[in-house]
Amino acid sequence: MALAQFLAELDDLLAGAKTAFDKAADAAALEAARIEFLGAKSGRLKSAQKSLGAIDQADKPIAGKRFNEVKREIDAAFEAADARLTGRAAATEGPIEFDPTLPGRRPRLGHLHPLTQTIEDLKEIMGRLGFSVADGPEIEDEWHNFDALNIPREHPARDPLENFHLATGHSGPGRTAGDDVPLLLRSQTSTVQIRVMERTKPPVRIISLGRVYRPDPADATHYPMFHQIEGLLVDRQVTMADLKSVLRLFAMSYFGGEVHIRFRPSFFPFTEPSVEVDMRWHDRWIEMGGAGMVDPNVLRAVGYDPEEVTGFAFGLGVERVCARRHQVTDIREFYKNDVRFLEQF
Amino acid sequence: MLVSWNWLKEYVPLDMPVAELERRLMMAGLNHESTEEVGGDLAIDLEVTSNRPDCLGHLGIAREVAVLWDRQLKRPAAAPRESELRVTDLVDVRLECPALCSRYTARAILGVKIGPSPAWLARRLATIGLKPINNVVDVTNYVLMECGQPLHAFDLARLADARIVVREGLPGESLTAIDHKTYAVGPGICVIADAKRAVAIGGVMGGERSEVVETTKDLLIEAAQFDPLSIRGAARRLNLHSDSSYRFERGLDPEGLDWASRRCCALVLELAGGELAAGSIDVGSQPRPREPIVLRMGQLKRILGIEIDAGAVRRILKALGNEERRADLREIEVLPPSWRRDLSREIDLIEEVARIHGYEAIPEDVSVPMATSARTEHDRVLDRLRHVLTAAGYDEALTLSAVEEPWSNAFSPWTTLPALVAQTPILRRADQLRRSLVPSLLGARRTNETLANGVIELFEIARAYLPRHGGLPCEELMLGLTSGGDFFAVKGVIEALLAALDPAAQPRMEDCSEALFTSGRGCRLYLGDRLLGCLGEVSAAGLKQFDLRGPTTVAELWVRELEAIAIRVPQYIELPSFPSTSRDVNLELPAAVRWADLAAVVRASGGESLERLEFKEIYSDDALVGQGRKSVLFRLALRSREGTLTSQQADAIRDAVVRACGAEYGAVLRA
Repeated sequence: MALAQFLAELDDLLAGAKTAFDKAADAAALEAARIEFLGAKSGRLKSAQKSLGAIDQADKPIAGKRFNEVKREIDAAFEAADARLTGRAAATEGPIEFDPTLPGRRPRLGHLHPLTQTIEDLKEIMGRLGFSVADGPEIEDEWHNFDALNIPREHPARDPLENFHLATGHSGPGRTAGDDVPLLLRSQTSTVQIRVMERTKPPVRIISLGRVYRPDPADATHYPMFHQIEGLLVDRQVTMADLKSVLRLFAMSYFGGEVHIRFRPSFFPFTEPSVEVDMRWHDRWIEMGGAGMVDPNVLRAVGYDPEEVTGFAFGLGVERVCARRHQVTDIREFYKNDVRFLEQF
Repeated sequence: MLVSWNWLKEYVPLDMPVAELERRLMMAGLNHESTEEVGGDLAIDLEVTSNRPDCLGHLGIAREVAVLWDRQLKRPAAAPRESELRVTDLVDVRLECPALCSRYTARAILGVKIGPSPAWLARRLATIGLKPINNVVDVTNYVLMECGQPLHAFDLARLADARIVVREGLPGESLTAIDHKTYAVGPGICVIADAKRAVAIGGVMGGERSEVVETTKDLLIEAAQFDPLSIRGAARRLNLHSDSSYRFERGLDPEGLDWASRRCCALVLELAGGELAAGSIDVGSQPRPREPIVLRMGQLKRILGIEIDAGAVRRILKALGNEERRADLREIEVLPPSWRRDLSREIDLIEEVARIHGYEAIPEDVSVPMATSARTEHDRVLDRLRHVLTAAGYDEALTLSAVEEPWSNAFSPWTTLPALVAQTPILRRADQLRRSLVPSLLGARRTNETLANGVIELFEIARAYLPRHGGLPCEELMLGLTSGGDFFAVKGVIEALLAALDPAAQPRMEDCSEALFTSGRGCRLYLGDRLLGCLGEVSAAGLKQFDLRGPTTVAELWVRELEAIAIRVPQYIELPSFPSTSRDVNLELPAAVRWADLAAVVRASGGESLERLEFKEIYSDDALVGQGRKSVLFRLALRSREGTLTSQQADAIRDAVVRACGAEYGAVLRA
C-alpha cells in the first residue's frame, strides 16, 4: 500500500473515531464505538495496524510513527468521552467553575495519647543527659516495693489500705501467683531502680517510668492509676549539686528558657537528704516533684557500698506534667479516651 | 499541725514578720499551708512530714525557729510540788500487754476543783481549733499541743478499785468513749481498764464513764507510750482518729513522757488546785539508751557537693539538741536528742546540717560528666508501631489495667487461669487485672459511641497480666485494636504493621472459636509457629455485652513477637534496572481452596521473575461459575534480573502458573 493512502486512511480513522466518541450519549453507545474503533480483534485501528505490515520497508518509520500518534489520539478521545459519561471530569473539567477553596481530601490521621507524647519527650531529654530507659514489673513483691526501699513495716506507706494488694485466695486452680509471697501493684516506679541495681554494677544512670497504683478516689487531680518517671544516677562522687544541675538542665530543655531550681526539705524513706523540687519559671515557683540522695540503706540493700558510691534519685508525676503543659483541668480525661479529646493533641 | 503565733512566742522570741517565719520554716522542712487570724491571734497551718513527730507540738516548732534564727529556746518548768501522800498507796497499775503498750506512767492529784479554764488557755486552744471543756481536760490538751505527748486524766473515784489494767480488748467487749459513741474494742486493740471494765481506748480516746466532770475531785494522770502500728490499726478499725492516735502512730519522744506528766500536773495544780501525790507509777520498759553518731566532715562535701564551715556544723547540731561528745577537724561525735528518733546515722546528721544551712547554697550549674545512652530496641519498635497506627488513622487510648469480672471473662484468649484479683477494686468494681486489653478498649469504644463520636479507631499498647504458677505473674506487653472496619480492614493494618518491621513477614491464619468473635470470622495469627495474636469481628452477643450499637473488629498482638521479627537495619538489595510487566490471571477453581494455599502454588510456579503477586478480587455466582466453584482474579507482576521480559516470556510464566494451579486444584482459566 502506498504511504499517502495509508496516511489518509489514518486521518479518516482519527476523525471518525473522535466524532463517534464525542457523539456517544450513553455508556452503551460509547462501548459500541469503542468496539468499532478500538476492538481488539476486528476494530478499525487493528485493521490499520495490519495494513501497516503491507507498507514498503522504506516508508515504515514514517507510517509507524503516524500510526502511533493516531492511536494515542484515539485512546485519548475515548478516555475523554468515557470520563465525560461517567462524570469523573465534573470537578475538573465540567461546567462548574474550579473552586480551590473546596476542602481537600484529607487522610484521617490518628493521634498519640498526650501522656505518651509527654513520656516520649521526657525520655528524649533524659536520654540526651545520658539516662537510659529501664523497665520492671507492675506487680511487685514487698521486698522491691518496700523493704529494699527502706520502707519499714511500720511506715504508713505500707498500710494495706494505702496499697492494692492482690488476693491470695485459694479459690481456684492457678491462683497460685500470690500464695507464696504477698504481691501488690507497685506504688512507685522506684521498684525498677532496685531491680536494675540488683543486677547491675555501678555506675547506673537510668530512668524508669510506667504505671503505678494508689488507692486514691478518682477526682480532678487524682486517679488510682497514674504514671511516674523516676531518674537514678549512682556513681563515685555524685552529689546533690549534680542532682540540682541535672534537674535544671532537664527543666530548661522541657519548659524552655531560663529555669532555676529550689530544694525544700522533705521526707522519703528511700532518699536522704530528701527534698521537694520547685522550679522558677516565668517568675513563679512551680512544684516539680520529689528527689534526694539515695539512702545508704537502699544502696546496701542492693549490694552497693555506700562508702564507695553515692547517688541521686528524682521522681515526677507524668499526668501532672502533661496536664500543666496542655492545660488539662481534670486528669480523668486522660483515661476516658474520648476521641475528641485525643484528637486535640 | 496548727500553730498559734502567740503561743509560740512563749518559747522563742518572734520579732520577724509572719511571712518571713512561714518562708524560712518552709525552706527548713515545714511546709506552710495557710495562716488565719483567730481572735487576735494567728493560726498557722504547717505540714509536718511523718519523720518529724517532734514538730507535732509548739515546743518542737519553736525549737526549729530558735535554730534558724539563732535564738534561745525557753522550755517551761515542770517541777510540781509533791505532797506527803505516795502515789503507790493510791493507785495500782498493771501492764499486761507490753507489745501494745511499752510503758505506762500514772500520777495522782487529789482534791482538785473543776471549773472553766482561764481565758489565756481557752484562747490558745480555740486558736488551734480545740473546744475548751474544763480546766483539767484543757490542761491535758494544752500539754499535748505543747510537747506532742498525749495525756489523759481519769476521774480516780470512778476507777473501780483505783486500779488501771492495761490489756488487750476482750472478744465482744465494747465501751462508750468521750464522744458518746460506742466502740467494739476486741483483741488487738489496747484498752485501759479498771478492776471491772474497759475505761479507755489506749492511745486513742478516753471513756465516758471515767471522764473528768464537774464533780470530779481526784485525778489519775496517764502518760504512756503505745505501739505505733497497733494504734494505727485500732484507729483504722474503729474509724476513730484523734490528736492522740495521730501522734502515737508517728512515735514519740520516749524520754519526754515523764516531763509531759510533770508539766501537766504542775498546770493542774496551778489552775485547779489539789495536792499531787509523790512519785509516779512507771511500768513497762524504759527507753533504750541513745547511740552516739559520728559525722565525718568530709562526708558533707561528698553528699552535698559543698563545703560547710565546721563551726557552723557544730552550732547547727548543738542547737538542734545534739549533745556534742567530741569534735576535731575531721569528725564530730554527738548524742542525738531523745525527741529525734529519726537521727541515728551519719546521713541523718548530714541532712540536718543541709536543711538548716539551706539548700540554696547548693549550686545548680555544676557540670555533670557525660554518659552514653541510646534509645532501646524496644522503644524503637514501639515507635514504629505507633507511627504506622496513627498513619492508619488510629487514636491511642490508655485504659485502666483492671476490669470488672464479667468483662474480664468476656475475652481471655491467652490463658485459662483465672485473672489476678486486687483485694480492693482499683476503680468502682474493676478488681480483675486484665488478661487482655480488648475488653477495656471495647469499654472506651462504648464511651465514644454514647457521645455519638463518628469514627472510633483506637489502639493501646499496655500490659496484660497473665497468671502463672509460682513467682511473679507474667506481664505481657500487648497491642490492642478496636475498629469500625471489618475483618480485612483490621487485617490490613496488621499486615502494614508487620511490613513496617519485616517486609517479608507473612502471618498465618488459623480459625479460632473465641466466644467474642462472630463464628467463622475470628482467627489466631501466627508467624511461623509462634503465636502472634488474634483478630476477629465481634459477635452480636459480644456487642450486646459491651452495650455497643455499631459493628466492630478487634485484634490483639503480642508485642514481644513483633519485636522478635523487627529488622533494625534493613540491608540494601540491588535493584534490577529492567522494566516490569504484568499478567492478569482469572482462574476458576473449587470454592474451598483458600487464597493462602493458592498463592503458595502461584509463588512456587511463578519462578524468580514473579516479583509480586497481587490479589484483585474474588467472585462466586452459581450461575456463572457453577456451584461449589469460584473465580479468583489476581495479577502477576513480573520482572527479570536478566533483561526486559518479552511478551512471550511473560506469557510463558503465566501459563506455567495456570498449569500448576490446574494440576493442584483443578483450576481453569476463565474465558
